[in-house]
Amino acid sequence: MKLTSLALAAGIAALSASTVFAEDTIKIGVPVGLSGANSVVAPSVVQSSELAVDEINAAGGILGKKVELVVADDGSGAVGAQKAFDSLIFDKGVNVLISMETSAARNAALPIVTRGKVPYIYTSFYEGHSCNKWMYVNAWVPEQLSSALVDYLAQEKQAKTFFLIGSDYAFGRGVLDYTKKYIEKTGGKVVGEEYLPMDGSDWTAIISALRSANPDALISCTAGGAPNVSLGKQLKSAGVNIPYGNMAVDEGTAKDMGSAAAGMYVSGSYMTSIDNPENKKFLADMKAKFGDELKTPNDLSVPQYDGIYAYKAAVEKAGSTDPKAVIKALGEISVTGPRGTIKMDPVSRHAPLTMYLAQVQDDGSLKVLKTFENVSEGKQCSFK
Amino acid sequence: MALLLDFFTTAALLFIVSSGLMMIYGVMKIVNFAHGAIISVGGYAAFMVARLGIPGWYGWALAFAVGFAIGALVERLIVLPLYNRPLDAILATWGLGIVLIQIITMIFGRSTQLVESPMDGTFAIFGTAYSSYRLIMIPVALVLCAAVIGLLNGTRFGIKTKAVIMNEALAESIGINASRIRFIAFSLGAGLGTLAGYLITPLSSVDPYMGVAWLINAFMLVMVAGSSFVGLFVTCLVFGTLQVLVSIYVNPVIGGMAIAVLAAITLRIRPQGFSHV
Amino acid sequence: MYNRTLKKALPIPALICLALIVLGPYVCSMYLVNLLIKAFFFTVAAIAVDILWGYTGYLTFGQSAFFGIGAYCAGLVFTHLGFTDGNIALALALALVLPAALSFFVGWLSFYRGASEFFPCVISLVVPIVVMQLVLSGGEFTGSSSGLTGFDTFEFDMDGWFWLSGGFMLAVAMAAHFFLQSDGGKVLVAIRDNEQRCAYLGLNPERIKILLMTVLGAVTGLAGFGYASFSGVVAPELTGFQFGTELIMWVALSGRATLWGPVLGTLLINVATGYLSSSIPFVWQLILGLSFILVIILLPKGLIPLIFRQLGKASPMAPELQAAQISAPYSGAHALDMQKVAKSYGSLSVLSDITLTGDQGELIGIIGPNGAGKTTLMRCMSDGTARTSGLVSLCGHDIGKAAPQKCVGFGLGRKFQNANIFQTLTVAQCLRMARFIVEKPSFLQESSVLKLPQYVLDVLKVTGLDGKLSAVASDLSHGEQQALELTMVLALEPKVVLLDEPTAGLTLPERRGIGKIFSDLAHKYSLCCLLVEHDLDFVKEVATRIVVLHHGTIVMQGTPEEVVNSELVQTIYAGARQE
Repeated sequence: MKLTSLALAAGIAALSASTVFAEDTIKIGVPVGLSGANSVVAPSVVQSSELAVDEINAAGGILGKKVELVVADDGSGAVGAQKAFDSLIFDKGVNVLISMETSAARNAALPIVTRGKVPYIYTSFYEGHSCNKWMYVNAWVPEQLSSALVDYLAQEKQAKTFFLIGSDYAFGRGVLDYTKKYIEKTGGKVVGEEYLPMDGSDWTAIISALRSANPDALISCTAGGAPNVSLGKQLKSAGVNIPYGNMAVDEGTAKDMGSAAAGMYVSGSYMTSIDNPENKKFLADMKAKFGDELKTPNDLSVPQYDGIYAYKAAVEKAGSTDPKAVIKALGEISVTGPRGTIKMDPVSRHAPLTMYLAQVQDDGSLKVLKTFENVSEGKQCSFK
Repeated sequence: MALLLDFFTTAALLFIVSSGLMMIYGVMKIVNFAHGAIISVGGYAAFMVARLGIPGWYGWALAFAVGFAIGALVERLIVLPLYNRPLDAILATWGLGIVLIQIITMIFGRSTQLVESPMDGTFAIFGTAYSSYRLIMIPVALVLCAAVIGLLNGTRFGIKTKAVIMNEALAESIGINASRIRFIAFSLGAGLGTLAGYLITPLSSVDPYMGVAWLINAFMLVMVAGSSFVGLFVTCLVFGTLQVLVSIYVNPVIGGMAIAVLAAITLRIRPQGFSHV
Repeated sequence: MYNRTLKKALPIPALICLALIVLGPYVCSMYLVNLLIKAFFFTVAAIAVDILWGYTGYLTFGQSAFFGIGAYCAGLVFTHLGFTDGNIALALALALVLPAALSFFVGWLSFYRGASEFFPCVISLVVPIVVMQLVLSGGEFTGSSSGLTGFDTFEFDMDGWFWLSGGFMLAVAMAAHFFLQSDGGKVLVAIRDNEQRCAYLGLNPERIKILLMTVLGAVTGLAGFGYASFSGVVAPELTGFQFGTELIMWVALSGRATLWGPVLGTLLINVATGYLSSSIPFVWQLILGLSFILVIILLPKGLIPLIFRQLGKASPMAPELQAAQISAPYSGAHALDMQKVAKSYGSLSVLSDITLTGDQGELIGIIGPNGAGKTTLMRCMSDGTARTSGLVSLCGHDIGKAAPQKCVGFGLGRKFQNANIFQTLTVAQCLRMARFIVEKPSFLQESSVLKLPQYVLDVLKVTGLDGKLSAVASDLSHGEQQALELTMVLALEPKVVLLDEPTAGLTLPERRGIGKIFSDLAHKYSLCCLLVEHDLDFVKEVATRIVVLHHGTIVMQGTPEEVVNSELVQTIYAGARQE
C-alpha cells in the first residue's frame, strides 16, 4: 500500500512539475553505477567529484556561477543508464555529463546524449573506438595500456610466449584482442586465450589450460573486483609463478587482494605513488575532506577529477555553457592535474597519456617501475 | 591426473554448495532461492572471523551457527505461512535473497573483501602438484556427506525426518511434530549454506553477490538429485565431471552453462532424475 | 451511461490507461513521457507474465528472454543489414517468429505428462541464462556485454512514440481482457486450478500451455522489438534472468491474475523507479525486496486490487440454461471392453486378470472392500498408461497408451472420489469447461446462454445447483461440489461413465434423486455406467449388474440379488470389517 501511494505521489508530482532551469548554477551530471558491478568503484568517483566541485566553488565557481553536482545511479547497465541519463538531461537539466560507465551503459546513453545535445566527458578506461559528436574521453584505451605492459614483460622479463585470460565481455575481449595483435606485431606469441563469463568464479579449467600451455607470461583482463580476486587467489593456490600482468585491477582492489596480488604487474595512467605536486596536493585534500571514509583514489576517480576541471576550463574559454561552444573548447584546452598535463585531441576525441608500469608490493602498495611519456591514443575518432 | 583431480575437486565444491539447498528441498519440497545470499553471508562470516582473528575451527562453527540462526528466523517468519504455496515460497525466498544482499551491502559496502587462504600453494599427489585447498575440499565434502547421511539415517531426528518426507500426514498421526522437523531442517539447510560460503571463500572473493553465481547450478543439481543425499553426491560427480570436460574441450563459457543445460535435458528425459541411484 | 455492460467491456483501469495515453504528451514532462514509453513496452511483457503465471499458474522467470530476442532482432538487423523498408519487415518478422519458435520449444521441453510441478519453473530459469550467455559470447556480432547501439531506427518524435507504444500496450491489454473474460479464456484458470480435471474433460493442458506460450512469446518479442527501436539500444540485460524476475515482482506486487493490476502496477513502479532509484539505489532495492516478501505472504492478491476491488473477481453473471441436442448413443458392441488387464508396481500386484465388459444401457455396480483395487480399476479404464498389461477398448477404440484426454474423446467420463472441480471458477464456468470439447466456447465474449444435455439439467435441479450458477465452486458445500463434478462429467455427453462414489456427502433425498437419474442415464439415454460404491443398499437399488472386486481380481459378478445374498460377499465384507 505504502509503495503504491508513494508511486502515485511521484507520478502526480511528475505530472505537475515542469523542468526548471536554474540560471545561476551550473549543474554537472554524474551518472555512475552506485549499484551493480560498478558499485565497487563508484564511491571513489563520487568522492573525487565532490572534491573538485568544492574546490571550484571555493575559488568562485565557473564564470561566477556556483557548480552543483547531480549524482544518479545507472545500475551499471544499459537500462539503468538510459533512466539515469534521461533523468539527468531531461528532468534535472544538467549542463554537462562527466562520468565513468560500463561500456554497455555508455553505449545505451549515447543516443540520449545526442538527443539532449549535452557535452559528455567520459572518464573511464575502456576498449576504445567509441565516438560521438558530444563526447570526449580522457582515460586510457588498449593502444596505450597494452604497449606499456607488453613492452615491459617482453623487454625486462624476456617473455616470448603469452597466455591471455579474460572475462567474457566487451572490455575483456576488446582489450585482449588488441593486446594479442600488439604481441604478435612485436614478435611475441600468444599460446592461449581463455574467457570465463563475467560472474564466473571457478577458474579451474582455465588454469589447467594455462599449465599445459606453459607460457613465459600471463596477462589478464577480467571484470573488476570479484573475478580479479578469485583468479588471483586460484593462480596462487595452484602455484603459478610466471610474470603476471593484470590489465583490470585498480589500486584499491590490489590492496584488498593482499598476498594474492603481490608481484603482479599493473599499468595505468594513474597510481597514488605518482610523484608530482598536483598529485600530492590532491591526495592530501582528499584525505582532509574524507578522512577515514576515503576510498583509495584510482584510475577511474582521478580522470573524473580531471574531467571536471577540463569542463571548467572549456566553459571559461568558450565564455558560456553553450554546448556547441563547450565541445569546441574542450579540444583546445589542457588541464594539469594529478596525472600531469592532459590535452584532449579535437579530432580523435581521446587524449595522449603518460602511462605507468608498476608492481604490486607485498603490502599491496604499487611501486612504479617504469614511466612511458605521452603514449599516443592511436586512431580513435576522426572529427573535424 | 590433474584432470582427475579437477573432476573430484569440482564435484566436491558443488556438493558442499548444494547440500544446504538439498536439506531444505529434500525435506520440504521448498526451493530456497535465498540460498545464494546465504552463501554470501557465510563468506562474510569468514571475513569477520579472519578480521577478529578467531582460529579456523571456531570459524566453521560460527559460520554454521550464523546460518542456523538466520534459517530459524526465516523459517518462522517467511516460510511457515507458505508451506502450502510452494511456488510462492520460491518467490518469497527470492525476495529474501535481495533483502539479505542489500543488508550486507549496507553493512560491508559493495566492494570485494579478501580473506587469506589458510593454506596456500600446492601439494604433490602422485607426482602432480595441485592446489592444496582444493584438495582439502574432497575430504571435507566426503565428511559432510557422511555426516548428513549419518544424521538422516542414524539418528532419531533423521528417522522422523524421513517419515515426514514420505508421508507427512501419517507422520503427524503417529506423533511426529512435522512443523518442528521442518523448522530444524530449514535451519540446518541455511547453516550448511553459510558453512559452504565459509568454505569457498579461500578460493574466491567475498562480495555481496558471491553466492548468487552458484545458485543456479546448485539448484539444478538438487532438482536432478531428487531427495536423496547419495543421489546428490552422484549427481555432483557426474555433472562436475561434465562441466570440467566441457570447459576444457569446448570452452569455459559454455562450460559455465553445462550444468544447467545438461540437468534440464536430464530431467526432461528422466523426470525422476538420479533420485533412485 | 457507464452501465454494467460497458463497465465490463471497458473497466475503469482501462479508461485510466486510455486517458493517460491520449493526454500524456500534453500534461507530462518530457522525462515522464520518456519513462512511460519504455514502461509501456515492459507492461506488455508483464501482461504476458501475468497471463502465464497469474492465470495459468506457470511461474516463469524466462519471459525476459523473449523480450530480449525481439529487441536483438531489431538491433542485429538494423546494425548489420541497415535500416531499409525490406529490413524493417525482416526484423519485424524475426522478432515475431524467433521468440515464438523458442517459446514453442521451451514449452515443449517444459510441459509433458508427468512433469513435476517445479520442472517448468526450472526450465524457465535456464532459458534466460542461456540466451544471455549466447549474447555475451557473440563478440562483435551481438556486441557482447556492450550491446548494440547507434543503429538507425524509426524517426518518430516523442509524442508519436508515446501514442504508438501506449496504443500497442492498450491493444494487447484489451485483447487479453476480452480473451480472459470470454468463456473460452477461462480454460487458463481451469488449467491453473486443476490440470487433472482438464485432462478428464478431454482438454490437453500441455498443448494449450504450449500454444499460449508461443503466442505470448511472439507478443513479448514484439514488445522487445518496439523497445529496441525506440531506445536505439539493445543490451544483454534485456534477455537476462534479472529482468525476468523483475517482471514477476511487478506482477506480484500489483496483483497477479487481475490483468489490469499488473498493467497499472508496472507503469507506476517504473515511473517511481525512474524518480527514486537513481537517488537512493540500495534503499530502493531494499524497499522493493521487503514489500515483495510482505505482499507474497500477506497479500498474495497484490496491491492494486485493494483500490479496484472488482479486479480478478469471478463473473457474477448466471447464464440462462437451455437443453442441448444429445448426440446419438453408441451402437456398436460393448461400450467398455477389458481383456486380461493387470496392474503391478514391481512385484506388488494390484490388479490381475481383469476381464470385464459393459454395454450401453447397463449400470454396473463395482463393490469391494477398501484396497480391493476399485480406484485402480477405474484408472486403468481411463488412462492408457496406467495398466501394466492387457487390452482396454472404449466404444470400439483400443486405448493403447492414450492419455486421459484421448480416452475422453473416445466417449469416457470419469468422476473422482473427491470432488475434482475448478475451485475458483463459478458453477456455470465449470460446466462450460466441461462442454468445451462438445461445443467450442467463444474466445471473445461471455455467452448468456448455457446449453446442457437434459440429464445434466435434471441433476442440477435435483441438487439445487441450478440456483447457484454464479457461485464460485470453492464456496459450495462438500455435497454441492460432488454434485458439480457429476454434472461436469455428464455434460461431456459420455458413452461410458465411471462414477467413484458419486453420492458421498449428499443428503438422503438428494441420493434418491440421483439414483433415479442414474437409472435414466442407463435406461433412457443408453449410457454405460460404472458405479463404485460403498453403500450396498444404494447399489442394489439402481444397478443392473454387480461386480465384486477382492484382492485385485473379480471374484464374482451377477444380478444385484445374486451378489448381495451370496455367501462370498457376506464373508468378504464381514472379513474386511474384522481386519
